[in-house]
Amino acid sequence: MKRAAAFVVLLALAWAAWDTGANPARLIRGLPWLLDFVRRMVPPDLRVLPAAVAGAVTTVEIALLGTAIAALLALPLGFLSARNVAAPPIFHAVRVALNFLRSVDTLVYALVFVAAVGLGPFPGVLAVIAYTTTSLAKLYSEAIEGIERGPVDAITATGATRLQILRFGVLPQVLPLFLSYVLYRLETNIRAATVLGFVGAGGIGFYLQTYLRLIDYRAASTVLLVTVAMVMAVDFVSSRLRQRLV
Amino acid sequence: MIDVTGLRVVLPPSTVALDGIDLTVRPGEFVVILGPSGAGKTTFLRTLNRLVEPTAGTVRINGRAVTGAAPPELRAVRRQVGMIFQQFNLVRRLSVVDNVLTGRLGYVASLASLAGRFPERDRVLARECLEQVGLGDLAQRRADGLSGGEQQRVAIARALAQSPAVILADEPTASLDPALTDSIMGILRRINVDRRLTLVVSQHQLATALEYATRVVGFRAGRVVFDGRPTDVTPAAVARIYAERAP
Repeated sequence: MKRAAAFVVLLALAWAAWDTGANPARLIRGLPWLLDFVRRMVPPDLRVLPAAVAGAVTTVEIALLGTAIAALLALPLGFLSARNVAAPPIFHAVRVALNFLRSVDTLVYALVFVAAVGLGPFPGVLAVIAYTTTSLAKLYSEAIEGIERGPVDAITATGATRLQILRFGVLPQVLPLFLSYVLYRLETNIRAATVLGFVGAGGIGFYLQTYLRLIDYRAASTVLLVTVAMVMAVDFVSSRLRQRLV
Repeated sequence: MIDVTGLRVVLPPSTVALDGIDLTVRPGEFVVILGPSGAGKTTFLRTLNRLVEPTAGTVRINGRAVTGAAPPELRAVRRQVGMIFQQFNLVRRLSVVDNVLTGRLGYVASLASLAGRFPERDRVLARECLEQVGLGDLAQRRADGLSGGEQQRVAIARALAQSPAVILADEPTASLDPALTDSIMGILRRINVDRRLTLVVSQHQLATALEYATRVVGFRAGRVVFDGRPTDVTPAAVARIYAERAP
């Protein structure tokens, strides 16, 4: 059984390698061009630094705003898709809807929203909200399903209403986890937001794409350096905050 | 005070946890329920305030029907019935005094409480309840920073904050160091004597049961097999409660 499974997996990998034309020799033949590409990127053209920084600020804004709004929108959805809180018909309906919506990535949502509301950072914010709401709702619901039953029983026994039970029996148990998930999503959304500019949804990705198209690799390398600095800075702050939550 | 008739609980798929319990608890009694594990003690206590839904039978507390009550009436009964658990069941991340304040949830306006606001007189009451269990100076500590014995005293204060008529305690000393048993049971006795509260407490330790109870009820396989004063608990009665096979 195990052998058969291993054989099937190996076969699938071999077929995928052949079908995608994955070939180490081809990579080695391409290496000089890669080196040439890197050589043409240095030294970075610092004249575009102000534009790159402005783009980075927009990207951070898109991720921050989108994540914050999604964190709130996901709250009711998280409770409604938790097996131990919502009634079965509601739970199943919300789960199916969330699974469906979550199968679409942020970048695809961005294409849709650019078509709907036009170019700029705003469709980017909408795209981040759309994807992050569904993915956070899933994480929230799993946290809610993992709570201790005891405090919920104790609060129920005091004669509390359903909302009071959620507020005092459930929320204190899940809130630190929720915040930690939100920060984690913020980190991934910063990365996702860097490429939103490629499809016209604002931020630093727009500059990267523009300079690459103009074959101005030295300007593009400045944008890349700013991107790396931005992602690292957000990761640093966010992971520090997350450590304090545990 | 508590009237139970024909109480039956069948847990899915087909475990008979309670098999026809009839029991009347009079005001001011300190009833200790004895029995081997699996006899239905916990299920019985949890059915009294409908944390467990009975399959058949009725429960009335203080003249009000518990079984069949719609949610608002059920909450009104529950707030008169304090409950203490083997595992304390405090909300770990809340402070001690906030845990005690949750005992007031059945009385306060829902919206204000959702924002975490409680009337000043409730805060005063919560403090008083903490003083009564000897934890007045730990009010601001986080609940999970306390020892087991202290946590159980906070849980008692939470039950007292409900201004209850009845307190149910499910094996309140089973998770504690044996040395703490007398401290917790002593607090419960004081509540029983000073406040004239009715207590129903399950215990697996015979000696403790006999020392504190005014009435002992023996459970076995979901039925009442003994009901009497502690002095009536003869070796034959103990055998009836704990014997491997029915006599």
